[in-house]
Amino acid sequence: MAATVDSGRLSVADALEGLSEQPKSFGRLAWERFIHHRLALIGLIGLVIIVASFFIGPMINDHPFDKPDVLNRLQGPSREHWFGTDEIGRDLFVRTARGGRYSILIGLLSAVVATAVGTLVGAAAGYFGKAVDAVVAQVINLVLVVPGLIVLSVFALNFGSSWWRLSLVLAAISWVRIARVARGVVLSIKEQDYVMAARAAGASHSRILFRHVLPNVVGAVTVEITLLVGSIIVLESTLSFLGLGVRPPDTSLGRLVADAKGNIDNDPLRVLTPGLVIVFIVLCVNFLGDGLRDALDPRARSNRDD
Amino acid sequence: MASVTHSTRERGRIVTTEPLLRVDGLEVGFPSKSGVLRAVTDVSFEVRPGETLAVVGESGSGKSVTALTIMRLHPGSTRISGSIMFEGRNLLALGDKDMRAVRGNEIAMIFQDPMTALNPVFSVGSQIVEAIRIHQDVSKQQAWNRAVELLALVGVPEPKRRAEQFPHEYSGGMRQRAMIAMAISNEPKLLIADEPTTALDVTVQAQVMEVLHDVQRATGSAMVLITHDLGLVAGSADRVQVMYASRLVETGGVDDIFYRSRNPYTRALLDSIPDLLATTDRLDPIPGNPPSLLNPPSGCPFRPRCQMAVEHCAESVPELVVVGEGHASRCHRTADIEVTPVETS
Repeated sequence: MAATVDSGRLSVADALEGLSEQPKSFGRLAWERFIHHRLALIGLIGLVIIVASFFIGPMINDHPFDKPDVLNRLQGPSREHWFGTDEIGRDLFVRTARGGRYSILIGLLSAVVATAVGTLVGAAAGYFGKAVDAVVAQVINLVLVVPGLIVLSVFALNFGSSWWRLSLVLAAISWVRIARVARGVVLSIKEQDYVMAARAAGASHSRILFRHVLPNVVGAVTVEITLLVGSIIVLESTLSFLGLGVRPPDTSLGRLVADAKGNIDNDPLRVLTPGLVIVFIVLCVNFLGDGLRDALDPRARSNRDD
Repeated sequence: MASVTHSTRERGRIVTTEPLLRVDGLEVGFPSKSGVLRAVTDVSFEVRPGETLAVVGESGSGKSVTALTIMRLHPGSTRISGSIMFEGRNLLALGDKDMRAVRGNEIAMIFQDPMTALNPVFSVGSQIVEAIRIHQDVSKQQAWNRAVELLALVGVPEPKRRAEQFPHEYSGGMRQRAMIAMAISNEPKLLIADEPTTALDVTVQAQVMEVLHDVQRATGSAMVLITHDLGLVAGSADRVQVMYASRLVETGGVDDIFYRSRNPYTRALLDSIPDLLATTDRLDPIPGNPPSLLNPPSGCPFRPRCQMAVEHCAESVPELVVVGEGHASRCHRTADIEVTPVETS
């Protein structure tokens, strides 16, 4: 079946001087577009700084996160305790960093799981249609109408005792958001002429799905992922705030806000600090998503010199 | 079912060749809520190696459906009967895997709208590379070099640089050239071009047709050219078949159709071509609309619009009757149509 590429019949190689080098890859172009996106760059740098400070900070400002130190309780910010201390004298910077690490880890792990499951399920539903689609669409609707916070509370109480279990619980209700977006995009992509053209070229279903359909879903799904990371972080904070997240003496950003809320009149800073950290992380993640969407859209204006 | 023999005029050139493609009694129906829509009815024809067959007709006459059915790219619920023999194999009986080995490799298709038939997220070169590597076991670099050659062949300037560009960086004409390059990348024996120039600027149409001819000459492939542009047909086809309301109504050599048409529909179609030298400033369109394929009129489907219709026409669908060497017409009044050249006034 395969004719050789070097068959001389069509050859015009002689007319060309020295054939080409490899092309600039799509990833390379996307990266070039990304680093020219100011907000995205701010988001990325902000995230790097905050994550680094979560990891490196506690090494410099070396306090245990869980040992009470009643002689130094309820102190304001100082050189010794950057964010001050809580009711039983634990260092709040160390606790914020620890909580922030959990928030980011939980956000990322849930988003990765939710994206993998959601994209595959949603894309398969959209691409193959019929019975597959009918079942998936109903499951998506079901999960979407179930009041998430209540289900989460129940699950978190019985199942979510560690950060990765909590992540899985969060992923279990958030994958439908990705699936819904992926399904919708695939439904429109599969009617595109280039999918028909790929079939006409002899491509198999899996090749069409993975090479022609999914890459066109990436842009839309990326935006949804970043929004998802943001909302998972907020959701986890909410659960922790309600006392259902990470168990004490461990902590998370939401629990820090909850711990401090009784004293908000006297010491607003203790509520504000972890709260602002949440806002800052979510904002950076969303900026990043915005930039990624533009970078991954091949129709976006290229910044090459031609 | 009438079968059409081929003219001696071409016999000198292509004497002993077996037909490359032989479509026999093809019927295609789409089930819908209000019954089965018969998109193709009793269509039989042949394509021989190296020749260009033009399929002409209005929108909805079944020409594109015929092409898609040959490629087996019809929707799943479609009802098909008849046979499509390609080099001795019935394509309608092939398994999915065997059919994929035919698509793009032995039969390639060029689509109407090049603006949407290329995947926006990959460079043009890499899409040609993919088309090559689906069917040929070659390295990426070899395939890439080949893609650049192909782009050069179809007249894309600076092919090395253009291969790295994305579809949105191409103009319409250049994209259609790239589509052609992709279609011929595996040197198919048959090219199916579904209105390849309809979506293009008039000034670019002629260039693209020229490219098609050049590659056809270079690869020796046959071509089924689907179009509603009779001007395109006159310049490029060896044989022409005219479709109306899901049926073939006339088939013959280019000259048979343009100068010796024996079918009222073909003649009406030719009369509706604008003439630069005409003294009147009005066109002669065919009155009315094509019939519904769900509830076709009784008898000849063209009857309601036909100036020559008589009572007898409402009684039965006329048969395709051989009227000359390789020339057949489907009309009850074929005998009454004088064989004088058609006036395009």
